[in-house]
Amino acid sequence: MKVITFILSLVLMAPAFANDENPAKQLLLKMADAVHNRNFDASFVVVKGKSMEPYRWLHAKQGNTELEHLSLLNGAGLEMVRIDSQVTYFEPQSEPYSIDTDSIAGPIPEVLFKDIERLSQHYDFVLGGKGRIAGRAAQLVRIESKDEYKFNYWLWLDAESSLLLKSAYVNQAGEMLEQLQLTHISVTEEPAALLLEMLNREFPTPLPAAATSQSEANTSSNNWQIGWLPSGFSLLKSDRHKLDLNNELTDYYLYSDGFVEVSIFVQRPLPGRRPSGALSSGATTVYVHNSGSFDVSVVGNIPATTAKAIAESVARPL
Amino acid sequence: MTKAHVNKLDNQHLSALLDGEQSLTDEVIAQQDAATLGRYALIGDVMRAESEDAFVFDISDSVAKALESEPVYADFTQKESQTAAIAATGTDNVVAFNWRKPVAQLAIAASVAMFAIVGIQTLPQGENSPNNEIPMLQTTPVTGMASPVSYSSEPALQNAEQGLRELQQQRIGALVLEHQRQARVAYSLEKAHTEAQAEEEKN
Repeated sequence: MKVITFILSLVLMAPAFANDENPAKQLLLKMADAVHNRNFDASFVVVKGKSMEPYRWLHAKQGNTELEHLSLLNGAGLEMVRIDSQVTYFEPQSEPYSIDTDSIAGPIPEVLFKDIERLSQHYDFVLGGKGRIAGRAAQLVRIESKDEYKFNYWLWLDAESSLLLKSAYVNQAGEMLEQLQLTHISVTEEPAALLLEMLNREFPTPLPAAATSQSEANTSSNNWQIGWLPSGFSLLKSDRHKLDLNNELTDYYLYSDGFVEVSIFVQRPLPGRRPSGALSSGATTVYVHNSGSFDVSVVGNIPATTAKAIAESVARPL
Repeated sequence: MTKAHVNKLDNQHLSALLDGEQSLTDEVIAQQDAATLGRYALIGDVMRAESEDAFVFDISDSVAKALESEPVYADFTQKESQTAAIAATGTDNVVAFNWRKPVAQLAIAASVAMFAIVGIQTLPQGENSPNNEIPMLQTTPVTGMASPVSYSSEPALQNAEQGLRELQQQRIGALVLEHQRQARVAYSLEKAHTEAQAEEEKN
């Protein structure tokens, strides 16, 4: 009994000085630093259920300029290029475009390479065991959601260089839903020629900063009432626009808790009786809720139960 | 069933085969004439934007040709000299980046791509998954699992059902793509958001 009380008191005391002394957090910061300052050429695969996506990831630091290139190798492909704080997306189905941001929105959550401190309100950082990943000694770091409404994220970091070797979205039952595994990484002294070539290329000028337009957009268009979201999520943007693929009009809301993004779409219902339900691919869930006079769809890397609860909480404006 | 109806079903078969959604059986191949196969292969290539200069008009022809020139693939020295030549031209050594590729593909190509994703998403989840109480949608009907309506002998009703399903599939594809795109600006928005909040707290 005494032992249990002792452990309990330790657990309760831990948050008090977690900020500076959490080794898991320190490791993540080291990883972010390594990812930003090293020249490397890596390949990784993302396994989502029964599908698999291979990527190549190059990064270089040339003087004070960061160069990064992430490319999806299968199918029609997707190329993402970053020069410092400008990211350009090349997609098969549309014109390339640039965004003013200092990180690529790839399969790895961007916040991990940045300020993870702001996640600590809703996630715990826990050190896991050691193992061997991609032929290297690796240390597991677990980012655990404080409530059951989100997935956990586990990362295996190279014990030597702190670079990422493997990561996974893990549900509350401990099952890995979506895994990312490096198959090869080489760290070099000199930046790759491919990346240096980028400096001589012209890229589309970035779209006007979306950040400035968001506050007006919030008030102007939609006022659906979104009754429930897990704590920590805040509204980043809302507007009414047409979807690219099928030209359907939608009221759109983008929420984020700093780690995962959730999109909420409110649309005119499709004809016919259709049941509400969820689809999932890896960690991504799509929940389609048929609410009679309107359809609500929720998309994001969240459990299906959470997506369902969000979708069902959307109500008509008063 | 009318003759036309039968043919349509056959072609669906063939299309699925080319897209790698169905396994290759001699039977299926034997049923199809070479012209249809070639046409479908071409459609597939164009949709995936794989044919930049060389359009494959007849797959059986090119297969035959490829077989004739098979030794080339085993001739590594030749391959090396080719790549060396490319590298020597300087600008071409960035072939890994395809940003010079024309981006004039049809929008339908994307919806087809999303279609495939949706197909995967609908695969039943593990039996012991904690989300069992959540209904999982089945957008691509699997034999034996389709709703009874699909078995209707009334072609009109069947077509309507099919159309509706496609409509929903398209929508879900569009939503997933839109989410991916919007998520790209999320990080910078969020940063601006927190910075603005910090500003406010300071004042």
